[in-house]
Amino acid sequence: MRSSLMIAMAALGLAALPALAGPTEDLARTCNACHGVNGVSVGPSMPSIGGLPEAYLKNVLLQWKSDERYSATMGRHFKGYTEAELTALATYYAKLPYVPVVQPADAKLVAQGKNATDRCETCHGATGGTPDDAETPKINGQWAKYLEMELMKYRNDAVKMPHKKMRGNAKKLADEDVAVAAQFYAAQPK
Amino acid sequence: MSFNRREFLKTLTTTSVIVPLTACAAPSGSKSGSSGKARIVVVGGGFGGATAAKYLKMMDAGLDVTLVERNKTFTSCPLSNEVIGGHGKLDDLQTGYDGLKKRGINVVFDDATAVDPAGKSVKLKSGTTLKYDFLVLSPGIDFNYGGVAGYSEELANTTHPHAYKAGPQTLALKKQVEGMQDGDVFVLTVPPGPFRCPPGPYERASQVASYLKSHGKGKCKILIADSNDSFSKKGLFEQAWKMHYPGMIEWVAGAAGGKVVKFDAKSNTASSDFNDFKGNVVNIIPPHHAGMIAKNTGLTNDKGWCTVNMLTMESTVHKDIFVVGDSTVHGDLPVYGAPKSAHMANTQAKVAVGNILAKINGTPSPEPFFVNTCYSIAEKDWGFSVVHIYRLKDGKLVYDTKAGGISPVNMGDEAQLKLQRKLESEYAVGWLKNIMADAFA
Repeated sequence: MRSSLMIAMAALGLAALPALAGPTEDLARTCNACHGVNGVSVGPSMPSIGGLPEAYLKNVLLQWKSDERYSATMGRHFKGYTEAELTALATYYAKLPYVPVVQPADAKLVAQGKNATDRCETCHGATGGTPDDAETPKINGQWAKYLEMELMKYRNDAVKMPHKKMRGNAKKLADEDVAVAAQFYAAQPK
Repeated sequence: MSFNRREFLKTLTTTSVIVPLTACAAPSGSKSGSSGKARIVVVGGGFGGATAAKYLKMMDAGLDVTLVERNKTFTSCPLSNEVIGGHGKLDDLQTGYDGLKKRGINVVFDDATAVDPAGKSVKLKSGTTLKYDFLVLSPGIDFNYGGVAGYSEELANTTHPHAYKAGPQTLALKKQVEGMQDGDVFVLTVPPGPFRCPPGPYERASQVASYLKSHGKGKCKILIADSNDSFSKKGLFEQAWKMHYPGMIEWVAGAAGGKVVKFDAKSNTASSDFNDFKGNVVNIIPPHHAGMIAKNTGLTNDKGWCTVNMLTMESTVHKDIFVVGDSTVHGDLPVYGAPKSAHMANTQAKVAVGNILAKINGTPSPEPFFVNTCYSIAEKDWGFSVVHIYRLKDGKLVYDTKAGGISPVNMGDEAQLKLQRKLESEYAVGWLKNIMADAFA
């Protein structure tokens, strides 16, 4: 709480009135319908986006706009936003707290998932909560369903996914490990 | 911890740095520099009204917000066709109003019977009169049963459910589909546009086919008698029908004699001026117009829909009344003045709220931004969508043709197409959970 208030104060001091008038907040309010208030999703196929790294969000948003990255739906949205708006949205969501979602987890599957995710650790951290650079998302407490579907995208050669390393590693996962890897990260609170 | 404008303002009012801002947010002439006493009544607790009530309170806790709604339980129309198809449960589409009550919204279960725009009050069936400074009307649609001679509300509630308001009729229609024998015919009639959920009838035809096919009744036929000459996501539906239900679904356009104008319940026959459509199950979707309260308040045009200022959602007839959701025609936006969808109601409600707050605080109207996403599920793991972005351009609200549009019909290869359809079938379910929470939690 304290940190977001401080961010609020800082933003205020620098940006003064126009930021308060809130064009970015007005835009973000429309995102709530699918990604939840403050970017905390309650729908298992939709990711929580609040508190994800700014550089990661900016990359993905702009890549969707330019079709450099495959999306089923979002690319069609973002062609209606300017680059400046998407950048501002990335900044806005990055400043929100990251809230891992509590979701049903099967202990056996989570344990299997832990064994299947050695190759993920280097970049995402042991629990998915400590990514090694600013362009890598946190995945701890992200929705399992969403993570599983993202892995499906990375494992499908027919669609454009720009991160070679991620694609390579996703494809190395055994078929039966995809869902359990997603379960493992989804179950990590930190 | 939320990080929204209210928190900003709270922070502001407790620090000295922001004195000039506070002054700016409450110019002379506005309501005492605080919205604390502004009374807002919201009529209709569907996606539009619930969203409006919630966001008013969330963005300014000092507002006095009352929501008037007939039913204690809300049932989502989106994903209710999937219940008919056996791919979902009605319970999962339902919610109550406790979430809004917890936010400090005064939820009144009653019928709003009349609005007095001059006296700024709403009369309820119970006899209560609610005074308002601003009114948000989100009454949804009512049916013009007379549009199909021989069809009636009584038939809808007994032997021939339209099931175009989700609830008991959804389950009644589901039961009729379950009772069909292999080789039977399901007739579905589509009213002239505009109607709520533009792809709804075609998704319903798909879901009925899904149920019949997966229960060994693949020789059944589904006949869509349409009053119109084209339909939402046509290419996507026709592709899905060819792939999943070859030979099962036939569409008759209005120009080909599909416009049903009468119904004979005894012989189960729906008729246009040219054709008779006889079915074992006949599902009449009657023509719609804006909810009666809007009509009775004089807010509707000659076609029965509420006209609004496209940028603010304020009624063009009476000031300080904002109309959102299915009952509106949103200017000249395609199709039929913007699609009548849950997502559109949600986004319109947010724009209305922004403008009500601006009026209360004497600040400029925020730049409008409307977005619509509408998913349809034609078969298990086979979903698709249409996206609309409406933005301000040269002072006018326009549909951004560079953005939005339907999901790709054809893709590079089958694996890609299957992935796309699978993802969107899952997104449809996630979307519903989030938009229900965005409106009701």
